[in-house]
Amino acid sequence: MQTKPIGAAALLIPATGLVLVFMGLPLIYLFRYSLNQYVPGEFIVDGFTLENYRIFFSEAYYLTGMWTTLLMAGAVTILCITLGLPIANWIARQSGTLKTILLMAVILPLFISNAVRAAGWMVAFGQAGVLNYVLLQLGLISEPLQIMQTPIAVFIGMTAVNLPYVVLTLQSIFEGLDENIDFAAASLGAQPLQSFFLVRLPQVVPGILAASMLSFILAMNAYATPVLLGGPSFRMMAPMVVVEIMNKANWPLGAALAFILLATTVAISILAALFIRRRY
Amino acid sequence: MANIAISGLNKTYGSFRAVDFIDLNVQEGEFVIVLGPSGCGKTTTLRMLAGFIEPDGGQVILGGRDITYEPPYRRNIGLVFQNYALFPHLTIFENVAFGLRRRGVNHSEITPRVKDALSLVDLSHLTDRLPRQLSGGQQQRVAIARAIAIRPDVLLLDEPLSNLDAKLRLQVRDELRSLQKRLGITTIMVTHDQDEAMSVGDRLVLMRSGRIEQIGSPDDLYNRPANRFVADFIGRTNFLRGRIEKDQAFHSEGGIVLTSASQPPGATEAMIRPEAIRVRSVPEQSGPNAISGTIHGHVFLGGLIELAIDMPGGERITGVISPRELEEAGVKLIPNAPVYISVAPKDVVLL
Ligand SMILES: Nc1ncnc2c1ncn2[C@@H]1O[C@H](COP(=O)(O)OP(=O)(O)OP(=O)(O)O)[C@@H](O)[C@H]1O
Ligand SMILES: [Mg+2]
Repeated sequence: MQTKPIGAAALLIPATGLVLVFMGLPLIYLFRYSLNQYVPGEFIVDGFTLENYRIFFSEAYYLTGMWTTLLMAGAVTILCITLGLPIANWIARQSGTLKTILLMAVILPLFISNAVRAAGWMVAFGQAGVLNYVLLQLGLISEPLQIMQTPIAVFIGMTAVNLPYVVLTLQSIFEGLDENIDFAAASLGAQPLQSFFLVRLPQVVPGILAASMLSFILAMNAYATPVLLGGPSFRMMAPMVVVEIMNKANWPLGAALAFILLATTVAISILAALFIRRRY
Repeated sequence: MANIAISGLNKTYGSFRAVDFIDLNVQEGEFVIVLGPSGCGKTTTLRMLAGFIEPDGGQVILGGRDITYEPPYRRNIGLVFQNYALFPHLTIFENVAFGLRRRGVNHSEITPRVKDALSLVDLSHLTDRLPRQLSGGQQQRVAIARAIAIRPDVLLLDEPLSNLDAKLRLQVRDELRSLQKRLGITTIMVTHDQDEAMSVGDRLVLMRSGRIEQIGSPDDLYNRPANRFVADFIGRTNFLRGRIEKDQAFHSEGGIVLTSASQPPGATEAMIRPEAIRVRSVPEQSGPNAISGTIHGHVFLGGLIELAIDMPGGERITGVISPRELEEAGVKLIPNAPVYISVAPKDVVLL
């Protein structure tokens, strides 16, 4: 009994080492790069300056990008949780073949890359796309809607990307609930909807937190969907990092943006965890 | 509080009949125990009564009202489970108040009714704790309080004591029994512990493979079992194979002749409870069912002694006797020592 924790810790050493080498070191490098000076035309100019961070905090272009990213990640996460909770709850209560089919339906989209799925949305949302065609035929609209290249398209696309992760996370939590507790609630007079909100939902709060963090982090770092569906004037942080590094060859500023994105994501996740932990 | 009339209740899973046309009437205020081996359909039956499993056929009438297809939240049935099933995120107070709030009980009435229910199980001092901060026995008492707080027509309990350790099980069992009598609440409890069944039940229902084998008082099932399965399931028993001969006596295969108070035609076995065996160190002068044998061995069972006795024909009979009776009879516990036993005809049950 006494040696067990030590044994478990020992088993973690190789994994910890890998994380340190392949995640910790690049992060340190990244941070180091972000302190370098940007001299157009030259690759790396060593230096120790906060200039890149000052640029981020003083230029509307970058701050707006961060705002858009935060809002989009927050909105996508809220929608994913709202949709994911009833879906996951419902799947968890099914059994047999139906359940297998439903789970496959959730998992299958994960096999398709984000870029390919975004291309699918382009077909669906385009001026001559499926959605506009149907709406026009039904007479609900007289002119094709402009959906592509708008934040709405990104919002829908990213929700579709994140929803399977959220549903799978929540479904496994609902799966673990004790059905006798539902029976007890029903026997005490709780109708199904009351049972869901008063008994099932409070038991899965930690799961909701986990699923929200997953969705939020994925959305904060989304690249393909905003680039392909949002068009040139729509800016989120991950594409902006790429623009700095690839298009402007501004490695120091790109690194600073990446570091700010990372720090913001981590900080918000930690705050959310603390908030929920305190309340429950 | 109400009576329950169950008729023709049945449930089939695929081709497997889990509950096979059950009829059972439970009187108002009665404490009925359903027992039987694992998988015999006890939980399925209880869940059909509570409304969580829809029966394939049959009827459940609760206090004159047909509730067979009524949803569980309209039945007014209290439930207690083996694993307590308390709401983990609610305090003890809120757990007990849950059913009252769902029923729209007046706000000012909730606190006194919760306190009442909790004081019935001696837990009024723990209202602010969460379930995980209580011991198993306390949690189960909260579950009982939660179920009775709604003043249910019927209380259903599925193995409520199985998760408790032996000592606590006795204590909660006795509390449950006296609470049930005090409130006069119609109760059906599932168990597979026959001691529990015998000690708390007004009536026992013994099931096997989805059917009821016998319904009766603990005394009925113990002393007048309907068949070999019942005799074997309830308590320890000696079985002797044989048949009734022309002299109206039962002749075992090993040559023991037994007279019995009743002679059901076609009986193939005699059943004798270990407690019914009397022992002597000298042959009895007269009287029926006096048999001689030799001591095979013995085991101490707490305050009693279990004695295995070899019969001349190769059969073995087990008796349970107090040390004092052994001493008075002058029987020494020496292997192979001769011993004389007798059984009253009323204690020989032919099946
Ligand atoms: N959903 C189900 N699908 C198929 N078979 C089932 C289902 N539920 C129960 N059964 C079967 O029905 C039979 C009765 O089950 P039940 O749970 O009522 O037994 P039980 O008497 O409560 O047993 P235990 O003492 O072990 O709790 C069992 O053989 C079980 O395998
Ligand atoms: Mg059971």
